[in-house]
Amino acid sequence: MDKLIEITNKAVADYGFRQIVQWSPEDIVAQWQLSAREAEILTGVIKDELDRLPIPVEPTEVPQEQERVAGVIRQALG
Amino acid sequence: MAGRLTDKIAIVTGGASGIGRATVLRFAEEGATVVAADRNLGGLEQTKNLAQKISPDIETVAVDVSKLDQVAHMVDHAVDRFGRLDVLVNAAGVLILTPPLAEVDERHWDLIMSTNLKGLFFCCKAAIPAMLKNGGGSIVNIASMAGVQAYSQSLPYAVSKAGIIHLNSVAASQYTSQGIRMNCIAPGFVDTPQARGSTQSTEAIEKAARYHPMGRIGQPEEIANTILFLASDEASYISGSTFIVDGGSWSVASRL
Repeated sequence: MDKLIEITNKAVADYGFRQIVQWSPEDIVAQWQLSAREAEILTGVIKDELDRLPIPVEPTEVPQEQERVAGVIRQALG
Repeated sequence: MAGRLTDKIAIVTGGASGIGRATVLRFAEEGATVVAADRNLGGLEQTKNLAQKISPDIETVAVDVSKLDQVAHMVDHAVDRFGRLDVLVNAAGVLILTPPLAEVDERHWDLIMSTNLKGLFFCCKAAIPAMLKNGGGSIVNIASMAGVQAYSQSLPYAVSKAGIIHLNSVAASQYTSQGIRMNCIAPGFVDTPQARGSTQSTEAIEKAARYHPMGRIGQPEEIANTILFLASDEASYISGSTFIVDGGSWSVASRL
C-alpha cells in the first residue's frame, strides 16, 4: 500500500508523473516492482481517480486530493 | 497561404495535446496527410476529431515512444498506408518535477529519459530508413529552453532536452548529405497542459506571463508555425540548427 500511496501522491501533485501513471502504467509497475494486485488497483481505481483530476491540482487542494485517493486505495485493498 | 505541405506524409508524436496537437492541426490546414501518434488515446481521439474538421487525411496510432516495437509499428503503419514518409515531428515528451541532483529518484530519471531522449532516438531510428528510401525528408525535434538554460525544477528533464539538441546536431551531420534535414526547436514557456500541470498553479502561470517581455506566455500554435516552416520546403537550406522560440524572454534576461 505504501508504494501505491507514494505513486499517487506524486501523480496528484505532478502532472508529468501523472501522465505516465495514466498512459504507461506498465512502466510504473516495473519501476516500483508492484505486485499483481497493486498493478490491478493502479490501472483500475487509481487511474479512474487520476483521470478526474484538474490540470493542475492547485497547491492548496493537493493534500486533500492526495488523502482522498489514498482512501480509495485503502478501500480497494480492503 | 495554404498548401505548404501538400502531398507530404507526416508523423507527429505527442499528437494528443499541446504543441503536438497544434502541429497536427496546422499540418492538416497546409495539406499534409498526418499520422498523429500518442499514448494518450483519449486526447488522440480529440485531436483526430478536430483535424477532421479541416481535412480527412488524418490517422491516429497508439504509441509509447519509449518502446521500440511500438515506434517501428508507427512508422510501418504510415509507410504501408501512404507509401512513404516525408516528415517526422518529435513532440512527445514528459516533465516530472524533481528535487536537486543528489535527491533525484533514479526511477524518475529513467522515466523522463526513456520518453524524452530514448523515445526521440527510437523515432528517428525508425523513420530515417523510411525517409532514405524516398530520397530524404525533414525531421523536427522539440527540445526546450530547459535544454539551453539551467532549469532547476527538473535536472533529468533539462538534461534530456539538452540531449535532444545535441542528438539533432550530430544526426544532422550524418544525414543531411543524404537528403534528410534535421532541425530542433527550443520553446520557452508555452501554454500546454504539460506546462500548466508542471507549473503547479494558475497563479504561477499568471506570474510567468506578467514577467515575460511580451506580457504573455506562448501559444502552442506559435510553436506549430515554426515547426511547419522547418518541415516545409521553405526551409530547404536549413539543417542541424536549433531555434529558440521563446518570445524574447531569454535575450531580455541575458541583458539584465
